[in-house]
Amino acid sequence: MRRFLFAAATLALLAAGPALAQAPTGKSLTIGMAAADVSQLDPFRATSTQDKPVVSWIFNGLVRFKPGSTSLETLEPDLAESWTRSDDGRTWTFALRKGVKFHGGYGEMTADDVVFSLKRAADPKTSSFSTDYAAFETVEAVDPSTVRITLKHPVPSLLGLVANYHGGNVLSRKAVEALGNDFRLKPIGTGPFAFAEYKPNESVRLTANPDYFRGTPKLGGILYRLIPADAARDLAFTSGELDIVYGRQDQRWAERFAREPDVSVDIVRPAELALLHLNISHKPLDDVRVRRAIAHAISQAQIVQFKGASVTEPAVSIIPKGYLGTDDKAPLPAYDLAKAKALLAEAGHPNGLTLTAIQTSLPTMLTAMQIVQGQLKKAGIDLKLDVVDHQTFHAQIRKDLSDAVYYAAARFPVADTYLTQFFDSASTVATPTAVTNFSHCNAADAEIRKARTEPDPERQKALWKEAQVKIIEQVCAVPLSEGLQVWAHKKSVDYGYDFKGAIHLGPVITEATDKK
Amino acid sequence: MLQFILKRLLLAVPTLVAVLTVVFVLVRVVPGDPTIVILGDQASESARADLRGKLGLDKPIVVQYLAFMGQIATGDIGRSLTTNRPVLEDVAHVLPYTIELTLAAVAIGVGVGVPLGVMAARRRDGVADWLARIVSLAGVSFPAFVSGILLLIAFAVQLRWFPVISTPRTGGLLDRLGALVLPALNLGLLMVAYVTRVTRSGMLKALGEDYVRTARAKGMPARVVVWRHALRNVLVPVVTVVGLYLGVLIGNAVLTEIVFNRPGLGKLIVTALTQRDYSLLQGLMVVSAFAIVVANVLTDIAYGLVDPRVSAQ
Repeated sequence: MRRFLFAAATLALLAAGPALAQAPTGKSLTIGMAAADVSQLDPFRATSTQDKPVVSWIFNGLVRFKPGSTSLETLEPDLAESWTRSDDGRTWTFALRKGVKFHGGYGEMTADDVVFSLKRAADPKTSSFSTDYAAFETVEAVDPSTVRITLKHPVPSLLGLVANYHGGNVLSRKAVEALGNDFRLKPIGTGPFAFAEYKPNESVRLTANPDYFRGTPKLGGILYRLIPADAARDLAFTSGELDIVYGRQDQRWAERFAREPDVSVDIVRPAELALLHLNISHKPLDDVRVRRAIAHAISQAQIVQFKGASVTEPAVSIIPKGYLGTDDKAPLPAYDLAKAKALLAEAGHPNGLTLTAIQTSLPTMLTAMQIVQGQLKKAGIDLKLDVVDHQTFHAQIRKDLSDAVYYAAARFPVADTYLTQFFDSASTVATPTAVTNFSHCNAADAEIRKARTEPDPERQKALWKEAQVKIIEQVCAVPLSEGLQVWAHKKSVDYGYDFKGAIHLGPVITEATDKK
Repeated sequence: MLQFILKRLLLAVPTLVAVLTVVFVLVRVVPGDPTIVILGDQASESARADLRGKLGLDKPIVVQYLAFMGQIATGDIGRSLTTNRPVLEDVAHVLPYTIELTLAAVAIGVGVGVPLGVMAARRRDGVADWLARIVSLAGVSFPAFVSGILLLIAFAVQLRWFPVISTPRTGGLLDRLGALVLPALNLGLLMVAYVTRVTRSGMLKALGEDYVRTARAKGMPARVVVWRHALRNVLVPVVTVVGLYLGVLIGNAVLTEIVFNRPGLGKLIVTALTQRDYSLLQGLMVVSAFAIVVANVLTDIAYGLVDPRVSAQ
């Protein structure tokens, strides 16, 4: 009998369905992200695509990227009201805004917090971006509202290092000390939205910060939903349960949602540059002719055509377009199959050769590599793909196990970061100082290192250009394409600024953002 | 009865130890590095090595294994490597979702499957029988993510009766139920399919037995013969199917949990695996192995209830 009661209850539930449909969310904004979970909300550790936008809503830097912009040229005051630079470019003094309060009753933000944060950002034990701060000699609090940074050598793009990005975010010293290890999922900042709740595998909820120094946010809060299944996320956006959704890097997706009358699709920078890193320590890739043959056998135009021209662009160099120091006219090898075959024959491989690449099973990355595989086949190069799950891929490519590595990344928009992490020999994988130099490239160490400490911005740019030319000539990596970020929002959402770029890999939600 | 339950739970200890050993070894044999999730992809190798040392991942595997088993023996199932939250806290968060989904799916499976199976057997080769067989075949053949998406398109996007995101927002009863209906239907339909088939074949056999003929000959109404006498004998295999399925549901509702975006044990296990969060994964395995043991004990008790001969033994 009990069973039938269960059945009856279920039927009753079905009948009651319409009454159970979800109520509107009010003035809270709901955002759907393509991930199963957030990893880290400590700004100095947050490098995943799903973590960065949340951090940007909670924290401020001394200066900030203009909402919607990814440019270092238009940085504007944030927690600092003004700043001065000494004539030799080595001393920067920042005057802080007064009366800025940290979330959660952690008190007023002072120079002490800024000094603590920058020192923490420079320490590899607490920060993943410590190398960016290698030029910092001292950071000191002159008085509670003045901070002085002394550099070992001038850094032309210094403001970028104290902007609201990565290590530039200002944390509450008291909160970090009080929360210890818990800080990574209970972040305390000064931004327009304060962290309220984290539910594993489910969501992060933020509430408006009524004390925000630019004014109380128009929105009541943000519900950041983690929805890994593409279809489920799209359906939730269609049904109106999400106001903003992380899209797919797929032209058909963008076109489909652009047709909806109440939806705006945003295709924005920074792009992720996909490179094929060629491991010069593996035979036969130690022969530059073989690497050049590969470069000539790959057509960026075909890759862009396959992925869709509205969401993908051809790369201009081995650094993403628009970074400070990117050479827009870098001498990339042209697509030329005959030349590729001739080079292979010259290198002693007239009948072609076989390479093995460890490749992730993530669909967007796998399909891109399959296009490359098809293109190389035409030149007689048999690229075998060893397809593994994403974490295995990350572990194995860092153990120097792959001949060629497909890696797509966006970094801090200065040439130095990309060059250092991917092409400085100190970053070579499977060494103690390894970062992501998968190719064992050492073609431009001198230029990269000299540029890092070059005080004259023009000379610095010239050195970066030289480095790019040398790396391209030695074919440490072949550029494949640049993938833009795709988002969509309901027209009822007003960002309050022009959403053209997302340095934090997601829309900035400010005090001016509103929902009708 | 108490002695029986205790005995079963004690017998589960070696099973748990075996499961944990296998899981412990497997997650470490699979290549992967939790520090990539914790530190991100821009951290240097030396920072990763530091962290591995801090987490004890650089110690010999035997030392790690003994430390882990010692910790489990004290009742501590540890903290997540990536979030540093106690594993029990994460489990406590998702477990109610898993339990309510499992129970609702079982209720639908039994509540719909048994009557459907009985009906099919009574009208053997009739229209109702064919319909029930087609429905159950479809239920078995549909992958959970396909049926899930279809349910979402029909009831959440077109009709808007239920939410697409089946995570309750307010925690109110109606809200919870609303978020439960579609995922429970999705899982339940699969179970309906199995239960219908088992009930139908059991019932066909029972209806041909002597005691049924005798009951009919005594002039008992057909309803009583079928539901009171025959069904009782059919329930033993049904309980077996439900019991087996209960264990499967606890950890394997993951596709349904992902499609309907619902927290749950299965989804947490998959996340822990993809992030190579060894300690979370091990802790979750302890919990799910234990849950399966409990489900088995419950099944055994249910046998006693439907068939007094089992208790007598």
